[in-house]
Amino acid sequence: MRPFASRRLTNSVLTVAGVAGITAWTVWQENKLGRADFHTGYVLIGAVLFLACYNLRKKLPVLPWTTSSAWLQAHIYIGLASAVVFGLHVGWKVPNGFLEISIAVLYCLAFVSGIVGLIWTRTLPPQLARLSEEIIFERTAMIRAQLRDRAQRVVLESVHASGATTLGEFYAERLQEYFERPRRLGYYLWPTNSLRRELLAELTAVRRYLSDPEQEKCEQLFALVRRRDDLDFQVALQWRLKGWLFVHLGLTYPLVLASCLHGWLAHLFDGGAL
Amino acid sequence: MLDLEIAVNRPQRWDVPFGSDMRDEDVDRLLQVEPFRSMDADRFPAALPLRGILQNDTRITDHPDGSIVVREGDYGHSAFLVLRGRVNVVLEGLDPETLGRPPKASQGLFRSLAKMWRNPSLPEVRKHPVAENKLAVSRDQTGDLANTRVFLQDVPRILMGTRSVSLHSGEIFGELAALTRTPRTATVLADGDALLLEIRWQGLRDLMRRTDALRHHIERLYRENSLRVHLRETPLLTQLPAEQLEAVAAETVFETYGNFEWQANSEADGEQSPTSAIVNEPLIAEEGLPSAGLILVRAGFARMSQRHGHGHKTFAYLGKGQMFGTAEAIESYRSGNTAALTTSLRALGYVDVLRIPQSVLDKHVFPHVPDNLLETLHDKRAVYCTHHHCDLPHEKIGGQPGSVDTALLEFLVESRFINGQQAMAIDLDRCTRCDDCVRACAATHDNNPRFLRHGQRHGSYQVAHACMHCVDPVCMIGCPTGAIGRDMATGTVRINDQTCIGCSTCANSCPYDNIRMVEIRDSRGAILVDDATHQPILKATKCDLCVDHSGGPACQRACPHDALVRLDLGNLGKLSQWVNR
Repeated sequence: MRPFASRRLTNSVLTVAGVAGITAWTVWQENKLGRADFHTGYVLIGAVLFLACYNLRKKLPVLPWTTSSAWLQAHIYIGLASAVVFGLHVGWKVPNGFLEISIAVLYCLAFVSGIVGLIWTRTLPPQLARLSEEIIFERTAMIRAQLRDRAQRVVLESVHASGATTLGEFYAERLQEYFERPRRLGYYLWPTNSLRRELLAELTAVRRYLSDPEQEKCEQLFALVRRRDDLDFQVALQWRLKGWLFVHLGLTYPLVLASCLHGWLAHLFDGGAL
Repeated sequence: MLDLEIAVNRPQRWDVPFGSDMRDEDVDRLLQVEPFRSMDADRFPAALPLRGILQNDTRITDHPDGSIVVREGDYGHSAFLVLRGRVNVVLEGLDPETLGRPPKASQGLFRSLAKMWRNPSLPEVRKHPVAENKLAVSRDQTGDLANTRVFLQDVPRILMGTRSVSLHSGEIFGELAALTRTPRTATVLADGDALLLEIRWQGLRDLMRRTDALRHHIERLYRENSLRVHLRETPLLTQLPAEQLEAVAAETVFETYGNFEWQANSEADGEQSPTSAIVNEPLIAEEGLPSAGLILVRAGFARMSQRHGHGHKTFAYLGKGQMFGTAEAIESYRSGNTAALTTSLRALGYVDVLRIPQSVLDKHVFPHVPDNLLETLHDKRAVYCTHHHCDLPHEKIGGQPGSVDTALLEFLVESRFINGQQAMAIDLDRCTRCDDCVRACAATHDNNPRFLRHGQRHGSYQVAHACMHCVDPVCMIGCPTGAIGRDMATGTVRINDQTCIGCSTCANSCPYDNIRMVEIRDSRGAILVDDATHQPILKATKCDLCVDHSGGPACQRACPHDALVRLDLGNLGKLSQWVNR
């Protein structure tokens, strides 16, 4: 078996065994009329704190705290197991009370953002790898400006060489905005190549009206439109890969604080349950 | 008000001499000793006088009886001349603990944390921006035996049953490791009190350039001393009786292909089409021609290829210790007729080979090799795996290489990435471009990452611009001060910031563009500029594999998705394991 497959199998078996153990223990406690919710609460808050610690590990790379990859594996499987513990803790019902509902919503959002992140981090990199060019995210503004300048230069050269303004007019009407502005938010969330296809089709339609020197420049514009679209696609995917983490982290800290508050209040008003 | 710039004197080659105790009288005495007595001082330029070299690139070291002068396996940057006394060259491996190699102590948890806490907020801040003599030798960087003596107790007992050679006054040793950027091949012990002159390789190179006799002498030593060691390491010859090995050594032919300073042409080579590039590579053995014996790769890399359509298809590369032409040689031995070569062998950059003629194999080698080993070797075109390469867990010497597709192989060979022992390979199918690796590197290195997460790609694999700690680190060739060199204990190529004069020679020599020149600041954040020219003072920086930190390279440990790995690209077995995870 390949190393990754073997790791996946081992971690899955351990997680399922752990979850089954906690579930069995909870059922056993309830069957003898005990209170398992405090114990599942401890396990849950312990899991949430451990999951939050992964970010601390990332902030301190000089420390020999195993590898980030091992931490991520633990983060993923403990995160998945925590969903079952959460279900056991709330009794598989919607909790009541403002604080409890807030914590449940925060937990669910953090969990879902984690799942989305897991899916994106597994599916988006191969899409990025298929592109012909690898771009560093911080350099995109510079590359975008270079493409815009090259497109402008190509059009100006075409006007100078042919004396005709057909390509220039098309550029001003359809391509200038495309090269100058970043894409809309919708594209970043769900990038499609419809605009690229549309522009290339229009450019193809315009070719019949172009002289030979313009045709040559038109070919260069075709290439630049494609490059710009590839760049936007790459930026959109990288933006998603970075963006989800902000959401996930942004939810983590309120969740940790609210959970601690909930635990403290639960102890204050335990009513002799412990 | 805070100074934005501070003017200091630009560092020079001999600001920090190799030995701080070399006096004029010592140099005068050296000039009365061979080989320096016969050297013509007029052949040395005014900027690089013979006296200057002796004063600044050499040091005289006293070695009491039993002390280790050089250890087998250490990376050496200097050669030695015996001035007085005698030394023993031990030709067989000694136990590492006997040789005083304690386990490497790395920074602990609290030291690492404290260092991170104390890190200045600005990048490239230096506590001691200008070289001071007392800082020139940093023991933890060099592990310098000249400053840290290791003694052997009861030398006769240790040497009992081992083969050793005595060297006397006037003889030179250690030149092989110094000139070829390779580990020491033998341990040398002082036999009685010995006085030695240690010459760092920059000085040795300059002396050789201007003294024909010394150059010829060292070349002869180089050929004589390295041959037996290499033959002994070759799997086919390991079991050979000493008498037969001597006979093989006597008949073995040395051949060199390509240019030793191959990096000078690497840019032009890269512009050629793959078809013409391979045809222009120096041909060592050609497919279809009669086999003339066995070829052993001594140093460098060679490409094995076969004609395919109008081009040549690469299907393996051979490195140090690997053999070519085995199957054909065995076939010729068995049939009595000369077999034709089924593949070609070409030099990649620079390669040293040893050729053992067929008649010698027939007479002294094959009759002494067990039939089952011959049978195994016959089924291969080459021995892909040796002690140095292909250490797959269950792989035996002579095993099949791991599966790596031809296109990836061609890419690695054409880009010369096979030179990299610790290349940063990134699996782009797994890399989320989170830059955790970059941040981890910056956090451990003066707030400035020592690599670029960018580089040549093949499919979904990328080799990033990070120092690969090459088998043949050509970056070391031109360094005038020896600031860039191998860490003796680990083999990591490191830059001594104190002796780097910022000349950019290493950065320009690196064919992979993996060394960056950076402007440095003092502790208050002011950029340092040269007092005379007002140009910024530069320092060369590159990946040092986080040797001072526990746990290994921070970049690899920081990658959450197992996308980034430091990999020996010269090792097909390890590469195959990684590709087929």
